[in-house]
This record gives sequence, structure tokens and C-alpha cells, in this order.
Amino acid sequence: MELKYFIIRRALVIIPTLMGLTILTFLLLWAYGPNLVAAGFESEKYHNVAAALAAQGFNFSDPIGTYFSYLAHLFTGNWGTINQPISAKTLTAVEIFFPNTIQLAIAATIVSVIIAIPLGTYIGARPNSPADQAGRIFSLSGYALPAFWLAYVLIILFGKKVGVVPYLNIFPYDGNGSLNVSSPIFNNFHVSTPTHILLIDALIAGDIPLFESAFMHLILPVATLTYGILAGILRFIRAGMVDASNQEFVKTARAKGVPEKTVIKKHIRKNALLPTVTVLGLLVSSLLGGVVTVEYVFDYLGIGYLAVYTAEATQVWGILVLTFIFGIILMITNLIVDVIYAFLDPRIRY
Amino acid sequence: MVEENITVTEQKERLKVQDLKVRFFTSKGIVKAIDNLSFSIREGESYGLVGESGSGKSVTATAVMDLIPDPPGRIIRGKIYIDGFNILTDLDQLAKIRIKSPTDVIIKRKKRLIKRHNYIMSGIRGDKVSMVFQEPFLSMNPVMTIGDQIKEAILLHGRVDIANSIIKRETMNAQEVSKIVDTIMAQPDTQTRNKIIVRLCGEYAIPELAKPFTDLFENSTDRDFIINEVLSLVNTKKTGLNLEKLEESKNYFLLRERILDLNLELIGAEHSGDERTAAQLEAQIKELKSTMRSQFLLYSIKRRFMRRFIDAPFEKFAEGRTLELLTQVNIAGPERVMTSYPHELSGGMLQRCMIAMAFSANPQLLIADEPTTALDVTTQAQILDLMKEVNKNYNTSILFITHDLAVIAEMCDRVGVIYGGNLVEEAPVKEIFYNAKHPYTTGLMNAIPRAERRFEKTARLESIPGSVPNLIDPPSGCRFHPRCKFKMDVCSEKKPKLVEIEKDHKVACFLYSDEVEEEPREEIP
Amino acid sequence: MVEEVIGLEQVNAGTKKYRPRLELFSATVKSFVSNKAAVIGAVITFIYFAIAIIDTVAPSVFGIPSGEYTDLGYYSKHISPVETFGIFSPGTSHGFKYLLGGTIFNYPLLPAMFASLKFDLGYSVLIVGVGALVGSAIGVTAGYLGRWADEFMMRVTDVFFSVPFLILAIAFSTIFGHDMLSAVYALLIIWWPIYARLSRSLALSTKSLNYVEAATAAGSSKVRNIFYHVFPNVLSPIFVQISLDLGSIILIFATLSFLGITNLPYSFPELGALISDGDNFVTSFIPLPGFHLIWWPLIIPGFFLLIFTVSINLFGDGMRDALDPKLRK
Ligand SMILES: Nc1ncnc2c1ncn2[C@@H]1O[C@H](COP(=O)(O)OP(=O)(O)OP(=O)(O)O)[C@@H](O)[C@H]1O
Ligand code: SF4
Ligand SMILES: [Mg+2]
Repeated sequence: MELKYFIIRRALVIIPTLMGLTILTFLLLWAYGPNLVAAGFESEKYHNVAAALAAQGFNFSDPIGTYFSYLAHLFTGNWGTINQPISAKTLTAVEIFFPNTIQLAIAATIVSVIIAIPLGTYIGARPNSPADQAGRIFSLSGYALPAFWLAYVLIILFGKKVGVVPYLNIFPYDGNGSLNVSSPIFNNFHVSTPTHILLIDALIAGDIPLFESAFMHLILPVATLTYGILAGILRFIRAGMVDASNQEFVKTARAKGVPEKTVIKKHIRKNALLPTVTVLGLLVSSLLGGVVTVEYVFDYLGIGYLAVYTAEATQVWGILVLTFIFGIILMITNLIVDVIYAFLDPRIRY
Repeated sequence: MVEENITVTEQKERLKVQDLKVRFFTSKGIVKAIDNLSFSIREGESYGLVGESGSGKSVTATAVMDLIPDPPGRIIRGKIYIDGFNILTDLDQLAKIRIKSPTDVIIKRKKRLIKRHNYIMSGIRGDKVSMVFQEPFLSMNPVMTIGDQIKEAILLHGRVDIANSIIKRETMNAQEVSKIVDTIMAQPDTQTRNKIIVRLCGEYAIPELAKPFTDLFENSTDRDFIINEVLSLVNTKKTGLNLEKLEESKNYFLLRERILDLNLELIGAEHSGDERTAAQLEAQIKELKSTMRSQFLLYSIKRRFMRRFIDAPFEKFAEGRTLELLTQVNIAGPERVMTSYPHELSGGMLQRCMIAMAFSANPQLLIADEPTTALDVTTQAQILDLMKEVNKNYNTSILFITHDLAVIAEMCDRVGVIYGGNLVEEAPVKEIFYNAKHPYTTGLMNAIPRAERRFEKTARLESIPGSVPNLIDPPSGCRFHPRCKFKMDVCSEKKPKLVEIEKDHKVACFLYSDEVEEEPREEIP
Repeated sequence: MVEEVIGLEQVNAGTKKYRPRLELFSATVKSFVSNKAAVIGAVITFIYFAIAIIDTVAPSVFGIPSGEYTDLGYYSKHISPVETFGIFSPGTSHGFKYLLGGTIFNYPLLPAMFASLKFDLGYSVLIVGVGALVGSAIGVTAGYLGRWADEFMMRVTDVFFSVPFLILAIAFSTIFGHDMLSAVYALLIIWWPIYARLSRSLALSTKSLNYVEAATAAGSSKVRNIFYHVFPNVLSPIFVQISLDLGSIILIFATLSFLGITNLPYSFPELGALISDGDNFVTSFIPLPGFHLIWWPLIIPGFFLLIFTVSINLFGDGMRDALDPKLRK
């Protein structure tokens, strides 16, 4: 009951930030000027730019009115069209590309958490040991590595040269990386695409070779992405472990006669994971940043890929909408993180 | 337990510390925190340790539990007999310390041996000796409920006993009951009778019935009625659980206890250089372990993944015991406290919980490191009363640490005064207050504000000039000499030895004896 | 019944020594120097900056006039068709200039990397410096004034933190146009909130310090307080943050040009662009007999960047540890 109110209250806090974000993106739009705003709204139907703008409710001498038309566009999904990387309505492109990003991000998060918790426990319980030093170098390199470079290093190591893991993109794409939307992208696989997540769609269709191939194609992108997040989580868990093991209650546990292993797993780790949860929001932010480069390098058709191509082609509407979407994802994950934290830590009173 | 070791110390000594030496290896140098400290605590005795802040009281206490944080600290020499067993038997093998310079010390730890040492210590801590810490707020795990923390302590030791008493309860029949009722009724004194009832209830895993039973015996003298009542009450408590499964658990824990005991013996044998026995013991342990692996394979898998079901009877027992313990320490609303988290309770309540936790396994020795310093005066008095009660009722020995002499006067039978890591005086509490010998002790006594002195002409609070010595570079000779009013030439050159100058009264000061403490030549200064 | 031993407490209170600033400083330096990793990081960071400066002031010192690479018309003038086919591999056979081999159009890699530092470090320092200055001014003021100013600043920074930095950087530099300067502007705009937040929290904790309160009570003005009391306390954590951010910003900068957001010409001396040039060799590589993977145009600049980011992180971490008395041994 109480938790419900906490969630509602916490969700309400998002609203001002969300409005701020609409203002920020609107300012960008305004800064870009009237010229190309109409682009993406079939401006060729109109005689001139002004007419095209007016049809969309944009009037560059009336900022307030234009802001509200912008809001209307933003929240009704009327986001115009893009030509790069596919030529389609922006909304359609997002619908197709978004699930892939979710798949990538969740896979990377799961893999990192599965590795990070036992590894962090092991390292954090042995500060300054050789394992700890190695872990420290690893986390540092995770911070310092250019993700795109790491992706290529992985490709050279595990890509087609050695032939261990194929690095070709999941989806077929013609010529210079642009997709032809007139031929639905999944047609090549002869499966229906209810979820737009190839792994799941293949399973639903019962196409095991396709599933296998999709899985193999996922490995390198996930590995690249994992490296960065894992490094981050590891660093925090380690710090949390060291911090928790210096606290008094650990001595109490030992004085009770709790065996060393249980002290670490039950008493120290639980306290170490709590502060780690609070920084997950930060990590998700860097994860989403990493998604952009990884998708670009591996030609993985997610919204990060979409963002890079819309940006390169200066499709202003596309990039603004994507900025907004990324913002919403981050806000929601932060909300979830806070709720989880409140749920886990008895000291938080909501 | 270990035959050879018991003979080493006198009987009746619950704790005996000999030549304890503790060092902290810091980047500023080696902190000589404890030097050649010896004392002992007898059965049922309450021993006070006083000294200024930084004199090494907490370090002594943690050393007795073998909980000195490493790094930076280590016990480097000494013997600590707990219930006759020297927990530092294998001390020399645990680590090799090489000192290049005071700030550059290389410690090579033997991981395997330390692991075994910790394993043995975790069997001793909480079981034979418990500790109550100074800061109740910091000393409880913030993310576990009080109930869980106390239950954990209960379930760590004496699982076999728990299983036995549950089995006893489940198999209790009319015949047994009538026998018990007879023994209780044969006891004329109510006080003793009640005690017996409480003890028996614990033995039969029905602590919650102690109260109705005492009432019953008080209100009725009709034997048959009592027997019937008792039987029906006991029957309501029977859970009808699967005794075979419980037997299996019991055997498993029996084996574990056996392995622990063998390990204790092994350490003793290794230390005394008895290689044949050691080899035998080692083989025996190996064999038992392999039996355990084969015989209890399924059980340990179940225990790992279905803890909740396997441990259910134990958990239930622990819950009852927790409630009983919490009631014993006079906490208000013990049921609510059990499900509370530490931040939801006050300091006094938490300290009671700590004491309840410390008593979960009925240890013979309780170490209390300034248990009341963080509390307000009223709560302080209540906690002290509680500890005194426990001391009397269970004949528990207490090592009581404080810098508050008033508390010492109230709590302790014997007092040790510690200064700069050295014990400087040790005497019965009355002697310390009325016949203090060491200049430092007398200084401490004069520092107490006393009501009667206020009306004297020279009403003035005296304090000892100067401050606690820096233990990295302690003063030569008697560590107190820079602050001593009676300093002589010899004081800064030689170290006085703690000698018995009157019966039970020991002092380390050249004013009373010329004996010099011989420093053994050692690698570690 | 239970009494306090006042005498003992007094004795102890009298012995606490006041630590002058100089002693604190030397302790910090000592602690930093004892951290080997941090010292190595500092030295390498210094070397990178030295290369960047020397390459700007006197390009001929290295014997490789790298200045010409900033001339965008360079390759149309200098590259002969032959050179575009054979790309030199690392080694000394083609002279110092080609020590690390050539990249696309057989540009010599080493001078290109040296020239990159000039851009990458220069702009990064500019961005972090301006961000830190503006951000901490805003943060300290907001934190010190409190109430609505503080609230407003927090809400504005919330908005900036609500979008991943890279996305924000991409959006801003798209709006400003696809060139190097627009990326710089973009990063300038999005980088101040970090410092605003940091310095605000520092200012808040400093505000309640005794001597600041005392100064306020003595009638010292708010502005004076901010400058004389709050700023000095905020400085060292900010400095640590700067060093750590320098690593992140150079990465974002490189990423932007790698992604083609800052639409740089081939072989433009910028590390991200150089890596991006190198990736062509890897993606188009076909492992047929007789073909060799041209890895160095990709690996070497990346490694060069990695060493810098690792070093500056080590340096920053070491500095933070040294400045934090709790962590000092
Ligand atoms: N972890 C540690 N590292 C270094 N030195 C330590 C450490 N713990 C204790 N010491 C040193 O050991 C000495 C004794 O400390 P201890 O905590 O036993 O004092 P105490 O008598 O309990 O004082 P208090 O009344 O303040 O609790 C002190 O000089 C202290 O500096
Ligand atoms: S030995 Fe000397 S210095 Fe030490 S207490 Fe006795 S008289 Fe004082
Ligand atoms: Mg203490």
C-alpha cells in the first residue's frame, strides 16, 4: 500500500523533467530555424516552406503557439518521415528498431549482472590481492576504452578472420546500409514478426536455425556493451564490499560465530549491493550511450543506429524525437531503480 | 574437549590471557597496542578493564575474540585459553612477518591455515564466548530484522541439542510427564521449582510453556490434574513433523561437530609436535569428510536449495527461543521487535537485543566492550542491572570494559587497570577504590568528581597531566613515566613487572617492587 | 550513580593539534607520490600534453612537419596514385614519419596522431575548463543562495541528466552543423551541469561549516563569503572531477567524429576520425590467401587514445584518494 503511493509520488517527479526536456528539444528546433523544420512533413506538397510550416501549426514569430504544436506532434506520434537509414515514417522506424535495442540492452545488462555479482563479491572480499588489482585494471579499462574501438578489436579477434563468431549484421541490408522499407525487412526470414525481436520471433515461428543465427549475431554486440557496464558495476560492488566489510556489524556477525563465507555472502554482500543499486541509473545512462556506438559498428538495427543515421543526414525531427525517447527510457529506468531500492532497503521510508 | 589442553590451565578459569602482544602495522609505523598482557577470569566472575581512551581496552577484547582487523593488526604472540583451549595454538604458523623497516612490513599469510583457524574460531565464537559491542546502532546489520539476526546466532551452534530437544518434545508421553511432574513436585522451594521448570521447558523445546506451567504448579497440588494439564499443553505444541528427517539433520550436524572437535585436537597435536597422532587425526578427519560427502550428499543438496523446508523445525525452534530471549532481557513488545529493523528501535532496545543475541548459546564468557557508553543514564542503569542478573543466574563470567569507574564499582568483582597497552594494576574492586597503589590508578581515582569532596576547602577536580602515549613510539621503561609524579631514574630505563604485592593485588611500579620485566629478544619490537 | 570521568576527557581534548594548511598539502603530495599507478598516470598525461604543445608551437621538433595535416587540401596536392595503393606497415624501413605505418591514402600515422592530440586535448581542455568554470559558478551561487535559485538550477540540470550524454551531444551537434566546432559548442553546452551539481553539494556542505557561519554572523557579505570561504573548499574536488572528465570528454569527442557526426574529411587528424578511417580496412577485409589484414590504422590510434584515458583516470583517481583524508593511509 505504502509502496504504491511511493511509486506514484516518484512518478510524478518525472513530469517537470519531462516538460523540461520538451522545452530543451524545442529550443534546439527553434535554434535550427524555420528552414528545415518542415522537412519530414511532405513539404513538397506545399508551394513554399511557410505554407508547409503553417500546415503543421508552426509559426516562427509565435514561440508559444509553435511550442504547443510541437508538443502536439511529439505526443501524438506525428513525427514526420525520414529517409535514412530507411525511408519510412519516423514512428514506424522507431517501432521496428526499438525492440532490438531493448533486446540488446537487456541481454547486456543480464550478462553483466550475472558476472558482476559473484566476481565483485570475490574481489571485494580480498582487497589489494592480485585478483583485486586485476579487477581494478579491468574496471579502469572499461571506463577508458573507446567502445567503438573495442568493437573492432573484438571483430578482428573473433570476427570473420578467425571465424569463431560471425560479425555480419543480423539483418540483410542493401548497398550502403540503407534499408528498403517497401520490402518488409523481416521477409527475408520468412517469419512473421509480432514482437520485432528476432530471437523471440524465430522461436515463435519455430525456426531454430534462424534463432541460432540471431543468437550468434548478438554475441559480439553484447560482449562489447557488457565490457563497459560490467566494469562500472564491478567498481561499485567492490567499493561497496570494502566499505561494508569495514563496518561494525560485520564484527558482530563474526563474533556470533558466523562462518567466513556466510559473513561475506549474507552480511557484507547484501549491504554492498544496496549502494550499487543507487548508481544503476548512471550506468543505464552510459549503457544507452554505448548502445549507440555498438549498434553503429555492428550495423545492428536499433534506435541507436537510427539516431546516428538520422543525425548524419540532419533529419532534425528524427534526432529530436530520438533524444526525447532516450530521455524517457532513462527516466523510466531511474524510476524503476528507485522503486527497487526502496523495496530492498528497509531504512528508506516512503 | 582436548585433554592435553585442559590440563595446561587451572580448572575454573574461563578465560586466561598470557603474554598477549598485539601490533598494528600502519604506514606511520608499528603501533604497539598491547604488550605482554596477562590476566584471567574465573568462573562466574565479573572482571573490569579500565583505562583512558586509546589505552588498548577494545584491542584486548577483540583479541580475545580473535577479531583483530587484519590488515593492519595482528596478534603476534600470546596464549588465550578459552575454557581450557588455547585459541592461539596455531598462531605461529598462520603468518610470517618480516620487518624491513617500521613502515615497510611484509606479512606472508598462509591462506589454508588461516582458513582452518577461522573455521575453528567460528565454532568457538558465539558458543563459548560472546561479545556485546559499544555502538548498538552500528553493530547490528541494518538490512536484517532483529529476529533474523538473533535466530542466526541461535542456529549457528548446538544444532544437535536443538534436534534432540525437538525429538524429545515430539516423543513425550504420559509416563515421562508423570516422572517429570513428580520430580518437580518433590521440590518444596518455589524459586528452585520455577528454575527447574524453565530449564526443563528449554530442554523440551517448549520455552513458551514455562509461564503456564509455573502458574499451574503454583495453583494446584493435584498430581493427576497437573499431569493431564501438562500432557494436553505439550500435545498442543507437538507439530507431528517427520522425525526421520530430523534424525537425518541431527546426524549431519553430529558429524559436523565431530569434525570440528577432531580439528581442535589436530591443532593441539600439531602444536605439541606429536606427528603420529596428528597424522592419525588428519586421516580420521579426511575419512569423516568423505563419509559426510557420500552419506549426506542428497541432504546437503537439499539443504542448499531447499533450506526453508529442511530447516523448518529448527527455524521454528529458533523463533521460540528468540522470543524467550527477548522477553528475558525485558524488552517491550518482543513480537514486534523481532520483525523490526535496527533503525526502527532505540539504542537501549538495540543494546538489549545485542545482549539477547550474545546469550543465545548460553556462553560461559561474555565480553562487554563499553556496552553502555552510547546510552543515556537511565537506560545505562537498566542494562547494567540486566547484565548483573545474567551474571548471577547463569554463572556467566564477564569481561567488562569501560572507562567509567562508577560503572566498574557497580559491576565488577575484580579490576585490571590498563595503561598504554600494559596492565599496570590488578586487584579486587574494593582494593582498587580504597587502596589503589599505582600512581596512574590513584590519578584516575582523583579524577572522579565526588560529592563529598565538593564541600572540602580544596574542592578541585584533579586530572592527570599529559596524555596517553603515542603507541608507535612509546616511552621507554615504565610507559607512564612522562606523566608520573613519583618518577625515579630507573623508571625511564627499565620496565616494571606486574607483581603480586598483597594477596590478589598486583602492581607494576618500581615504588612497590624492584622486579624488572624481561623483554624477550624478538624480531618484532 | 553513574558519573562521568571529566578529567580524562579534558586531557584528551587538550592534545588535539591544529593542522596548518601547508602540512595538509605536503601530506596530500606525499600520499599521491606513494601511489605508483597515479604517478605513472600523471607522467603519461604530462607527456601527452607536452606532445600536443610541442606539436603546436614547433612542429619540426619531431622532424615530422605535422602542421600540414591541418591543411585540408593536403592530400589532393601530395598524394600520388601509387601511394594510395600500397599502405606502409609499421617499421623503420620508411623513415621515422612512417614508424607506425600509414593510414588511408598512406598518410603517415605517427604525425597524424601527434597532430590529433592538438585538437583532442585542446578542445577537451577548453570544454572541461569552460564547463567547470561556468558550472561551478552557477552551482556555488545556487547552493549558496538556496531556495528558488537552487530549485531552478536543480530542475534545469535534471533535464540535462535525463538524456544520455552521447545522445545529447549528437542532437546538439546535429543542430549546430556537422563540423568540429559544432561538436565543441554542443559539448560546451551539455557539460556544465555536472559541475553545477557537484559544486552545489560542496557549497551546501561548506555553508554549514562553523567558520563560514561565523563570517556571516560577523556581517560579511554573501558575495564575499562565496569568494573567500566557499570557493576555496570547492576547488579541489572540482579539480579531481576535471581530470576524470578529461578522459570522458575526449572519448565522446572521438566517438562523435567516429560516428560521422562531425563530418570530418579523410585523414583529418582527430583520433576518432583516424580510427574510423582504419575501420574501413577491417570491414572490407576478405581473408583470401595472399591478403593481409591492415590492422594498424585502426588498432594503433585506438591504443594511443586508450593509454591517454587510462592514464588520466589513474591520475584523477590518485588525486581523489590523496585529497580524501579518509582514504589516506
Ligand atoms: N585498526 C587500527 N589501526 C591502527 N591502530 C589501531 C587500530 N585499532 C586500534 N589501534 C590502536 O590501538 C590503541 C588502542 O586502541 P583501543 O581501541 O583499544 O583503545 P580503547 O582503550 O578501547 O579506547 P576507547 O576508550 O576510546 O574505546 C590505540 O592507540 C589505537 O591507535
Ligand atoms: S614505575 Fe616509576 S614512572 Fe612508572 S608509575 Fe611507578 S613510579 Fe611512576
Ligand atoms: Mg574502545
